Amino acid sequence: MTTISAAERLTSLWETPKTTRGWFATVDHKELGIRYLVTAVAFLVIGGLEALLMRIQLSRSDLTVLSPEAYNQIFTMHGVTMIFWYASPILSGFAVYLVPLMIGARDMAFPRLNAFTYWTYLFSGLLLYLAPFIGQSPHAGWFAYVPYTLTRYSPGLGMDIYALSLIFLTISTTGGAINFIVTILRLRAPGMAISRMPLFLYSTLTTSFVILFGLPALTAACIFLELDRRWGTHFFHIAEGGSTLLWQQLFWFFGHPWVYVIFLPATGMLSLIIPAFSRRPIVGYPFVAIATVLTGVVGFGVWLHHMFTIGMSDIAMSLFSAGSMMISVFTTIQVFAWLATIWKGHPVATASMYFAVGSVMMLVIGGLSGVFTGIIPVDWQAHSTYYVVAHIHYVLIGSNVFPVFAGFYYWLPKITGRLLDERLGKWSFWVMFVGFNIGFFPMHILGLLGMPRRIYSYRPGLGFDSWNMVVTIGAFALGIGILISIINLLVSLRSGVLAGRNPWNSDGLEWSSESPPAPYGSVHIPLVASRNPLWDDFDEEDDPDNDRVLDWGRLTPVTTALDANPIGLATIPGDSLLPLIMSIALFAFFATMVFQMVFTALTMLLITFAIGCVWMWPRDVKEVM
Amino acid sequence: MSTVAQIAPPRTSLSTLPIDQRRGVYAMWSVIATEAMLFICMFGAYYYLGNNKDRWAQESPPQLRFPLILLAILLSSSFVLHWGERQLQGPVESQRFGLARIALWITVLLGMGFLALQGFEYYYHWSELAPYSDAYGSIFYTITSLHAAHVIVGLMMMAYIGVHPRYGTTIRTPHKPYSTIALYWHFVDVVWVFIVIFLYVIPNFQRMHHVH
Repeated sequence: MTTISAAERLTSLWETPKTTRGWFATVDHKELGIRYLVTAVAFLVIGGLEALLMRIQLSRSDLTVLSPEAYNQIFTMHGVTMIFWYASPILSGFAVYLVPLMIGARDMAFPRLNAFTYWTYLFSGLLLYLAPFIGQSPHAGWFAYVPYTLTRYSPGLGMDIYALSLIFLTISTTGGAINFIVTILRLRAPGMAISRMPLFLYSTLTTSFVILFGLPALTAACIFLELDRRWGTHFFHIAEGGSTLLWQQLFWFFGHPWVYVIFLPATGMLSLIIPAFSRRPIVGYPFVAIATVLTGVVGFGVWLHHMFTIGMSDIAMSLFSAGSMMISVFTTIQVFAWLATIWKGHPVATASMYFAVGSVMMLVIGGLSGVFTGIIPVDWQAHSTYYVVAHIHYVLIGSNVFPVFAGFYYWLPKITGRLLDERLGKWSFWVMFVGFNIGFFPMHILGLLGMPRRIYSYRPGLGFDSWNMVVTIGAFALGIGILISIINLLVSLRSGVLAGRNPWNSDGLEWSSESPPAPYGSVHIPLVASRNPLWDDFDEEDDPDNDRVLDWGRLTPVTTALDANPIGLATIPGDSLLPLIMSIALFAFFATMVFQMVFTALTMLLITFAIGCVWMWPRDVKEVM
Repeated sequence: MSTVAQIAPPRTSLSTLPIDQRRGVYAMWSVIATEAMLFICMFGAYYYLGNNKDRWAQESPPQLRFPLILLAILLSSSFVLHWGERQLQGPVESQRFGLARIALWITVLLGMGFLALQGFEYYYHWSELAPYSDAYGSIFYTITSLHAAHVIVGLMMMAYIGVHPRYGTTIRTPHKPYSTIALYWHFVDVVWVFIVIFLYVIPNFQRMHHVH
């Protein structure tokens, strides 16, 4: 009896009203997580269509489907979209949805910041996609090397939009990282000591720190680029004492850690999915956790391997070559932990497991071609050829897209409440897997044959034609495979089998709530006694005195960072329109900066600050006391 | 699956725990980490651009007197603000909110003095060195004005806290705005210490080395 009324009280406290205002004002991490996922998949589809356009152009020699300039713009938009607006945000989407459920908290530490980072992510993407509509897209590849990107060679607004939308996105990503750090370190359920955290939390936490320390280099580089382009400074003008390599140094100091931002949370997902479907705890939990953290740390010491061809001292090359090889050790530890888990367990062949195992295979191929490019003479040969394109796609699709699909088949039943069709899922996997390997493996060969990357066409008779046709066919198959999964999802929303609380009999706390979870998570804040809470014989929600219901305010317990001993109660703010309004003001700031309208831009900045003041104004919280 | 290792979780009562207001400070530490990294990148660019160039063999470096006065202003403002913070410690009844507010406004005044003097320094040097003169000018003005932008943001936030109503048990924010903003201000001061060392003191030493 008391439980029912407690649940009702919690619902009235935590539920967002289903009104138009509620839709825009919600700070519910589950709603925002779904939005992150949907938006990121939309960017995946847009970027994928751009890739298919490129593949049509390259399917045979001397085609003129796209002009050279259009091709440049499309491959740049493809790269920027996939790397910045799909690969990292989709993992943020999983984390925003799952982290509070996994740690037994009622919401993130800063729910309004959470809404703000979602809206800024969306608006920065809109700012980027303003570019095709004014006909001036960025056209210098996703790493935008100077001097090509300076006004002399790129006079349009495309590169300004690139620089400013990236700075805008860093605000969103940094805010998200801060939110994850504080949430994971402070709001874990009592008893979930740091040695008992799900491995996905290790990877999300590592990634968040990498974002904090890595993204400022991108911000600095983009500030310098924009100042050089429009405000008369000389960071990259050699005649005035500048250096074009400064851009490369800063960009890759950010860029290589970013690879791990895209990669680590996905491995964290694999570290949950593979044990769940092998019916046993992961083998070597501490080693996987330490390897995750070390990948993030050592990832800061390998950036020069993107620049081996610029001419540098032997000692620098040797050090960074060795660092690049060392980092593969940490990935190998994770791979062997997964293999051992499957080996020692009783694997269940679900669609999610198919995707997980497939991604491990491609990750190994991509990792090995990475070891090759870490060897300096090979790198000199393969640099700026399709070999590198093959490598980056094996690593990124193998370690991001396939784990994300594994995650979809694993967690979407929790999110939507309905199971996806397993048969269709396996079809989707096989089409994607075969299509991907047909599409990208020949790129290794093309690269070794000498086909440079980023060319809009090639002459006949160089031996490129047939392989390129194969690549195009594979790319389309990959697209069809992704489409099958999207159809599967849409069908399941309507007619999927109801999932129940724990369809896979998994171990994590997120599976103890209903599917989809109640707005407040679980009625009783769980207590955690082991690494696999749902597999032990301890009842997490056993709470005879209703001590852990906290139904008199929007509250969640605060615990110590290491041992997760409860030390206080955190008040969680409610729904607010301010995050959306503030994001719009910031969007106006960056959009007007693109056109160098300084006074309008400064006004927008002041408005942003004023909105922040309203946001933080002290409020009456009588109901708490 | 009773093979899973279990450790009994803490049995502290949750419903009687006090309200925790420290998340804001943790978030501010994260902001400081990322902002510090931004300045480290800027200093890295400063040295990267100056690499293999012996600029101070020919040119005279920026004068030391301005940055040292500015440093004195900022450091004293940090002490004032820290004193103000200490007025807010302890139980709510014994907090001296008025004194804390006065300390805040003194800090704002000192920060405005900083900005005025730095503006004069820019004006003083502008004819010899401007952001568009060369790469050194670009990075010099970018670093110092990025710091000034942080000062401005700090001043705006402190002015905002300065007009906050007194908050206690029923009216408050979920965080402790005063100590959070104070932390940010101390960070801005520390950045200036490094700017003085890297952009002013070391070049002057290098110049001395060449002249004598």
